[in-house]
Amino acid sequence: MTTLSYVQLSSSINPSFWNKLSELKLDVFKLNEDGKDIWGYFPITVLIVSSTNCATPFLEVDSTSFNSEVNGQLTYLKFHGKLYNKNTLEQFKECNKMELINGVGQSITEQIISGKALCDPSILNTFLLLSFADLKKYHYYYWFGFPVPKGLVIEKIASSPIIEEFSLELAEKIHNGYKQLAINQRCYFLVIKGKSGLEVYTLAEKLKDINLEDIPEVYFVFHNISSVSSSIGSQLRNYVTLLLHECKFLANEQVNFIAFHLSREKSRITCLDSICYKLKLPAVADSTLTSEWVGWEKNERGKMGPKLANLKNSLDPLIISENAVDLNLKLMKWNLVPSIDLDKLKNTKCLLLGSGTLGCSVARTLLGWGVRNITFVDNSAVSYSNPVRQSLYTYQDSVEMKPKADAAAENIRKIFPGVNSIGYQMTIPMPGHTVGDSMVNQTKETVEKLIQLIESHDVIFLLMDSRESRWLPTLLANAQQKVVLNAALGFDSYLVMRHGIYVENATEQSMEHPEGYRVIDGANLGCYFCNDVTAPCNSMKNRTLDQQCTVTRPGVSQIAGSLAVELAVSLIQHKDGVHAPAFYTTSQNVSSQDLSDINPSNLGLVPHSIRGFLSSFEQFLPATQKYKNCVACSDMIIQEYKEKGMEFLLEVFNSSKHLEDVALLTEMLKETDFGEVLEFSDEDFCSQSSQ
Amino acid sequence: MEIGLKMDHLSVEYFGKCIHDIVSISDAILDGWVMKIKNDSENGKYIVKKQTTLLKAPEDASEVPVTFEYHVAYNISYGVPVLCFNIWQPDGSLLTLEGYWKSNMAFGDSNMYETLTQMDHPVLCKPFLSLHPCKTQEILQTFLATSKNPVISWLTVVGPFVSLNLLEEYVKHC
Repeated sequence: MTTLSYVQLSSSINPSFWNKLSELKLDVFKLNEDGKDIWGYFPITVLIVSSTNCATPFLEVDSTSFNSEVNGQLTYLKFHGKLYNKNTLEQFKECNKMELINGVGQSITEQIISGKALCDPSILNTFLLLSFADLKKYHYYYWFGFPVPKGLVIEKIASSPIIEEFSLELAEKIHNGYKQLAINQRCYFLVIKGKSGLEVYTLAEKLKDINLEDIPEVYFVFHNISSVSSSIGSQLRNYVTLLLHECKFLANEQVNFIAFHLSREKSRITCLDSICYKLKLPAVADSTLTSEWVGWEKNERGKMGPKLANLKNSLDPLIISENAVDLNLKLMKWNLVPSIDLDKLKNTKCLLLGSGTLGCSVARTLLGWGVRNITFVDNSAVSYSNPVRQSLYTYQDSVEMKPKADAAAENIRKIFPGVNSIGYQMTIPMPGHTVGDSMVNQTKETVEKLIQLIESHDVIFLLMDSRESRWLPTLLANAQQKVVLNAALGFDSYLVMRHGIYVENATEQSMEHPEGYRVIDGANLGCYFCNDVTAPCNSMKNRTLDQQCTVTRPGVSQIAGSLAVELAVSLIQHKDGVHAPAFYTTSQNVSSQDLSDINPSNLGLVPHSIRGFLSSFEQFLPATQKYKNCVACSDMIIQEYKEKGMEFLLEVFNSSKHLEDVALLTEMLKETDFGEVLEFSDEDFCSQSSQ
Repeated sequence: MEIGLKMDHLSVEYFGKCIHDIVSISDAILDGWVMKIKNDSENGKYIVKKQTTLLKAPEDASEVPVTFEYHVAYNISYGVPVLCFNIWQPDGSLLTLEGYWKSNMAFGDSNMYETLTQMDHPVLCKPFLSLHPCKTQEILQTFLATSKNPVISWLTVVGPFVSLNLLEEYVKHC
């Protein structure tokens, strides 16, 4: 004679349960802590495949647990649950756990006494869930309990496989009878081996008619939740409590039970793994039986205590979106570019000077590449004509006349909240745009701010609409040895280029290059101003409206913006980074394939500049040397800036002629007749270099 | 011969019939496949099955019980069935792609991103783990002419990589 040992259920929570709980807590429960009815599901299928899988029986809860009607799938036994969701962690910790489980147990007792459990024996399968949902952190504290009466002791007299007590034919009859039962009657039912043959009954049908003398012929069946057929689910104790209430004469008697167990043999489901038990029931009165209840679940450390589920990664939409964005990029690593360094891009800080069509296009393409730090600078507000071309703005922004830099920074976060974006509204001082006395201090502050912004970023994009506004950032970036990506638009043409990286007194390095190619190393690549022999002056003077605004074919800015980002990305991924040399060819007969050996960059060529023309849909990749008398990047200019700083800059703002003096251009112009050179246009240059 | 030749891909209707048959077989042997239908969607039919399995924890030798939820749905753009799944621990937290990769020995030395991926469920449009779909058409092709249920045939090939082993009962039907 031995005391029965029991197997307790373990909880298994579908992520959708936490999702639904969060939703209900916010919209329905709010501060209400009353117990809520929920459903739990015990999958019968787990028992069937237990031989190859997990031996622990699990009770599942999911989003449908909160439905009023149970999900009536054949493969589940339903469990009745009570959810106590507390409002604070303290209440969760401090509430009286004993009282709680006794309360749920008490309600089982009440339903046994009222006869409700007799009609719906699934009530005997009950659980409770104590929880606290920290909705900000997506942390869920929880503790499951599977209440059973503590004082109820059942002794095992004997056990044997079902086929030793029943013929195969009768066992099959039991299985068929089981299948005829309503789902909520399948967990506990009766088998009576009467004179007229074997019959399967619900408890409500027959239990009240049973007398002491019938006992040898009666089998009290319970659907065993233990996947090991030799052990028994703890809920048997609730069953016995009901049996003792309905049939008091069973006290102290030896009674037949069947631990019902479905299993699969090839394509047939049978109950042949079920086990018959002879059990001796206790002799105790109702009240002592049901005053104390036990059954709290142990946590992962095997202790009686709550568990914590951290669902931030599964539920926080912000994290989900960040992971999805990153993963999408990681797909490049499959086959296309296995060596790409995505973290390098993610950590690159980009400064966008100008937040118009180009700025918006650049920002969105950067976002696509997983860049997380984007700073916008602009001096104007969103106007009614902007939103159709400038992809970060909406009509509403123009109604509210929002500063562009702020609107861009704000709107890009709406597209992807994982981005770290900020906007600065400021006008970049320009050569030839005279600074009046009253403006001197403000200009100085702006210059200081710009210096600081360039210092705190890795890649500087020049995306303004005027030529002279590019001068100061070109100079400052040069002085700080930051790489500049420059995009400029014509009506149907564009120029995208990277500036060379300033190295003091750089000497030309001879580099290997394949037949048909020439090469310029990173330190000797020109800037936007290198091809000019005049200083940028105020271009807004004497201009008609169409010349003042950038009137362009709408697609040009999208193309140029995208190219600027792609060029920057290729550069960042190059093994020499911003110092990558630029290869260029003057022959059309040379294929870029020849370069792959000598210029090992995982994304291919890193040109110096890209010039495109929509009128002919052509694109060229010229490269130009740094010009020794350049007004923005020559040694003389940089030295002068480094020595005189703000004084030099103010002088340039007041007169662009000063630049030409410092760069010794004035002298050169006197000596040579530059008439012809000044006529030399971009188009001429390109057609030359491409032929 | 004729029938085999004219079918070069699995239509959404044929897919629907195949998964319907899977559920019928499953019902008879209580295998747990359930039909889900999202109305107003051309490919709204898909089947779902849950399964609890022990998975090796990557840190130590201990085993963690995890629940797999398998979905077999139809991708309209590729015209192929998709096997996607999510895996969660008993507390409801999902396993990440990397986390699952480490504990799945079936993948051997292959490149993670070539084998396993995260993609949107073709019907639910939510992120799920999935076996890389590139080869699906190739695998499917070999069964289209010969199998009575190409979806089952395909599942028996790809399922075992992610602990989904179809019983013999299904194989009899294809």
